[in-house]
Amino acid sequence: MADNFNKLSMKGFLDNLKGRSARLAAGSPTPPPATDTSREIARALHPGVQYATVSSVADLPDGAKAYELVPDKIRGTEAFAFAPAGKYLTVFAEINGMTVTRPYSIASSPADSCRNKYMIAIKPVEGGFVSNYIIDTWKEGTAVKISDPTGNFDYQPLRDAQKVIGIAGGSGITPFLSFANAIADGDEDFELTLLYGSRNEKAELFREELDALAEKTEKFRIVHVYSDDDVPESDGYEKGFVTADLIKKYAPEGEPYSLFICGPQAMYNFVDEEIKKLDLPRKYVRHELFGEPHNASSIRNYPEGDFPATVCITVHIQDKTYSVTGNINDTIMQSIEKSGIAVPARCRSGECGFCHSIVLAGKYWIPENLDFRRLADEPFGGVHPCVTFPLSDIEIDVPAAK
Amino acid sequence: MLKYGVVVIGAGNGGLAAAAVCARAGLKTLLLERHNIPGGSATSFVRGRYEFETSLHELVGDAPDGTPGPVMANMEEMGAKVRWVMEKSTYRLVVPAAENEDGFINEDGVRVKIDARMPAGLKAFARKLDELVPGSYDSCIRAFEIGTTMYDLFNYLETVEKPSLSYIAKNIPGLALIARIGSHTVKEVLDSIGMPPKAQGIFTTYWGYMGVPASKFDFLYYMCMMYYYVANGAAMPKLRSHEMSLAMDRAIRDAGGDIWYNSEVTKVLMKDGKPNAVVINGEKTVYADHFICNGFPNFVYSDLFEKNDIDKKFYSMANARSISCSLTTVYLGLNITREQLGMHDYSIFIAPDEDSDKQYQAALGGFGSGFIVMNCLNTAIPDCTPEGTCQLFLTTLTYGDVMRGVSPRDYRKYKNEVARDMIETCEKALGVSIMPYIEEIEIALPPTFSRYLNTPLGTPYGYMLDMWDSMLPRRFNYEKEQPFDNFLFVGASQERGDGYGSAYYSGMKAAGETIKKIREGK
Ligand SMILES: Cc1cc2nc3c(=O)[nH]c(=O)nc-3n(C[C@H](O)[C@H](O)[C@H](O)COP(=O)(O)OP(=O)(O)OC[C@H]3O[C@@H](n4cnc5c(N)ncnc54)[C@H](O)[C@@H]3O)c2cc1C
Ligand code: FES
Repeated sequence: MADNFNKLSMKGFLDNLKGRSARLAAGSPTPPPATDTSREIARALHPGVQYATVSSVADLPDGAKAYELVPDKIRGTEAFAFAPAGKYLTVFAEINGMTVTRPYSIASSPADSCRNKYMIAIKPVEGGFVSNYIIDTWKEGTAVKISDPTGNFDYQPLRDAQKVIGIAGGSGITPFLSFANAIADGDEDFELTLLYGSRNEKAELFREELDALAEKTEKFRIVHVYSDDDVPESDGYEKGFVTADLIKKYAPEGEPYSLFICGPQAMYNFVDEEIKKLDLPRKYVRHELFGEPHNASSIRNYPEGDFPATVCITVHIQDKTYSVTGNINDTIMQSIEKSGIAVPARCRSGECGFCHSIVLAGKYWIPENLDFRRLADEPFGGVHPCVTFPLSDIEIDVPAAK
Repeated sequence: MLKYGVVVIGAGNGGLAAAAVCARAGLKTLLLERHNIPGGSATSFVRGRYEFETSLHELVGDAPDGTPGPVMANMEEMGAKVRWVMEKSTYRLVVPAAENEDGFINEDGVRVKIDARMPAGLKAFARKLDELVPGSYDSCIRAFEIGTTMYDLFNYLETVEKPSLSYIAKNIPGLALIARIGSHTVKEVLDSIGMPPKAQGIFTTYWGYMGVPASKFDFLYYMCMMYYYVANGAAMPKLRSHEMSLAMDRAIRDAGGDIWYNSEVTKVLMKDGKPNAVVINGEKTVYADHFICNGFPNFVYSDLFEKNDIDKKFYSMANARSISCSLTTVYLGLNITREQLGMHDYSIFIAPDEDSDKQYQAALGGFGSGFIVMNCLNTAIPDCTPEGTCQLFLTTLTYGDVMRGVSPRDYRKYKNEVARDMIETCEKALGVSIMPYIEEIEIALPPTFSRYLNTPLGTPYGYMLDMWDSMLPRRFNYEKEQPFDNFLFVGASQERGDGYGSAYYSGMKAAGETIKKIREGK
C-alpha cells in the first residue's frame, strides 16, 4: 500500500475541538433519562430490602408454622422481587431492642412470587432465638422487613446434571417444595427425586403438597424416609436415614446426577460422610447454607492457647464508635448484635460476603469450612463477622446495616 | 454537624484514587460507597472453591524502559501495596473459517482463517505480523515509532493543569506528528502508512478493551495503549483486583481518611448555587467544601440533584454523548486443569472476522456476535484455583438497550442462553470441550453491571471514545465540563474513558485540582 502519511491533515485537530463543543451544546437540555431496561431489571430483581405483611399463618406438624407474605405498599413495596426456586430471604426482626437477621428458604413457587406472594416455613428450634420469636409473635397483619431473594442453592442447567437427587431434612424441605412447584409450572426444567428424611409421617412438613406435586408431574418424585424405630416396614417409604446405599438405589444408572442437600447441621454431618462413599465429582454435590456457627471452642481445629473468656470489641460504623463486650464463644456478629447494634447480614454462614468488614487490630479465628473469604482479605484484615470468632480484643470497621 | 474537607462519592477505581491522594495530602477526607466493599468493577467474588476476577483482563505492565508501568507506579505513589504478576505475551486472535471461506487446519484441529499468537516485544510482534501477513513489518514498526513519540505529549498532559497548544507547539518534539495524527482514526493512520488490511485486523485486536472500532477510535490513544502492552506485556495483581482495591482502602485509612461502606449518596444539597452537603442512605447529612464524584454524570444529575441545580448545558452535554458498550461476562470454574483443557494462552480473542469494524457491526446487533474474549487466569497465575482445576472468563460486548423485552422472570433463562451460546462459540473456535467440566458458573449481563456500578446500561466504559468525543478534546475542555468548581467527576466517564489506569488517573487528577483549590483558598 502507498505511503500517504504526509497527506493526513493537520488542521483537523482544531476543527475537532470546535465540532465537539457544537455537538455537545446541541444535546437536549432536559435532564438525562433516569433509567433504562438494565437498571429496571436490576432494581426489580434486587430491591435490597422489601416490606411485607403477613397475610396468613398456617399450622404445620411439630409446632412449625407457614407464613404467607404480601407486599406492604404503604411502606413502599409495590411488588415483590421475582424469586427463582432455591433462593432464601433474610428476615429482619427487632427483638428486645436488638436488630437481628435470619435467612429462611422461600417455600413458595417462582410463579407465586409473580403473584406477589412469598411463603416461608419456620420450625421451632430448641433454644432458638429468632425462629421461636417469629413463631410466638407473627400473626396475620404483622409488618415485616425482608431482603430480596438471594443465595446460590439454585438449579443451573449449564452446570448441574439433568437428573437431581434432593436430600432434605426437617425444615430443609422448603426449597425443594419450591423446586417441585417450579418444575410443575415449567419455570425449571430438570428431574428431581427427593429423599425426604423425617422421624415419621406425622413429622413431615408439606406432605400432601409434595405427594400431589408428584402426581402432577413425572419429573418430580418423592421418597419418604422415616427414622423412627417403631415405624412399620412398608413399600410406601424407606426406613432409616439417608445413606449412600439409599442414594444409589434411587440414582440413575450410567448417567450423571447432581445431589442437592438442605437440612440441619446434624444432617449435613451424617449425610456428608455417606456422600463421600459415592465418590462423586464435587461439581455434582451442592449444599445449601451450613448455618450459623456457635460455641467456637467446640468446633474442630479451634486453636490451642490461653484466650480470655471475654474480649472488648471496638466497632466503627460510619461516624459512630461502640465498645462491646464479647464472649469468645460467640461470633463477632453475635456479640455486636447482642449489644443492640445493627450489622449488615444475609446468609450468616460465611458464604455471601454481605457482612464483609475490616479488622483493624486484634486476633481472630474462622472455622475452615466456613471461610469463603476472598484471598486478598487475609493480608488486609477482611473478615465475614458472621463466622469469625475473636481470640483477643478486636477493633473492627463494619459497613452500615442495610 | 459532620463536616469534611472533601467527600468522595463512590469507591470505584476513580474514587479510590481521589480519596487516597486527598487523604495523603492531609485533607479531611471521607469516601462513601453504596456497596459493602471497594472497587466497583475492580473486585472479585467466591463461588465454591473458586475466586473469580470480575473485570481485569490486564493492565499495562512495565514501561518500555523496564520501570513499573503507569498503574503500578500510581499505586506505589498512593501507598497501596500490591503483589504483581507479569504476563509476557499479548494475545491470540482466532478467526474461525466459515464454510465457504479459505482457511487452514490449525494445531487445535480447527479450520481457521486466522490464528495469530502475538508475542510481547515490539520487534518480535512486528516479525510475527509479517510472518502472518507478508509485507507488514515496516508499517508495524512505523506505527510503534509514532507510539514512542507520544510519551512526551502524554507526560505533558499529565503534569500540566491547562494544556496549551502553543506550548506544545514550541516545546514538545514531534508535535507536527501529533498534530498530524491527533484528529485521525486508527484506520486512517494505518491506511496512510500502508499497513495491509489483514494485518490491521490483527493489529487492532485490542479495540474491544475500549469498545471503539478502528474507524472511530483515535490513533493516538490506541497507539499509546498498544505500545505499552506490546513493548513489555501486561501485569496482574496476584490476588485478583480485590487486592488492589483493599490495598487502596488500607492506604486511605493509613493516611487518616475515613471510608464508609453501604453508604449510598442519595442527595446532594446546595447552598449559594453550589453543592455543600450530601445525604447518605436518605438519613445522614455530611457537609464538605469539595466533592469528587465517581457516579456516572447522567444518573448523578437525575438521581441526586434537583432539576434547577444543574445548568442546562450539562444536561445537553450528557444527552449528546453516547453511552459506551455494555459487557456480558461468563465466569467458569472447571474441574480440570488448563493443560487437560488444552488452553495454552492467557488472552484469546475469538472473532467472526479480523476487521474490528465488522466485529463492531456484529456487536451492534446484540448478543451472539461471535466476538468473545476468553481469558484463562491459570496461564498467568497457575495457582489461582485449587489443584486439578482452572478458571475461565469469557467476555463479549453489546451496545444500547439489549435487555429490552426481557422480563425479570425470564431473565435467568435468557442469561443461560446467552452463556450457552458464548461457551459453545469458544468450544468450536478452539476445538476444546468446556461444558462437561463446569463446577461453578456465574453469568453477568448488563443488569448485573447496572446493579454493581450504577451506570447507564450498566456500562463500565463511560461515554464512547468515538473520534468526535476522543481523549484530546476531552482533555482540553476538562474544567469547563465539570458542573461546579467544587464538584468534579472521576472514573470511566472522564477524559481517558474506561480502564483501571484511566480511572486512577482521573481520580488523581481531580484530587490534585481539589488540593490546589484548597491551598489557594478557593
Ligand atoms: C468485565 C470487565 C472487564 C474489564 N477489563 C478491563 C481490563 O482488562 N483492563 C482495564 O484496565 N480495565 C478493564 N475494565 C474497565 C475498568 O474496570 C473500568 O473502566 C474502571 O474500573 C472504571 O472505574 P470507575 O472509577 O469509573 O468506577 P466504577 O467501577 O464504575 O465504580 C463506580 C463506583 O461508584 C459507586 N457509586 C455510584 N453511585 C454512587 C452513589 N450515589 N453513592 C455511593 N457510591 C456510588 C458504585 O457503587 C461503584 O462502586 C473492565 C471492566 C469490566 C466490567
Ligand atoms: S452474612 Fe453472609 S457472609 Fe456473613
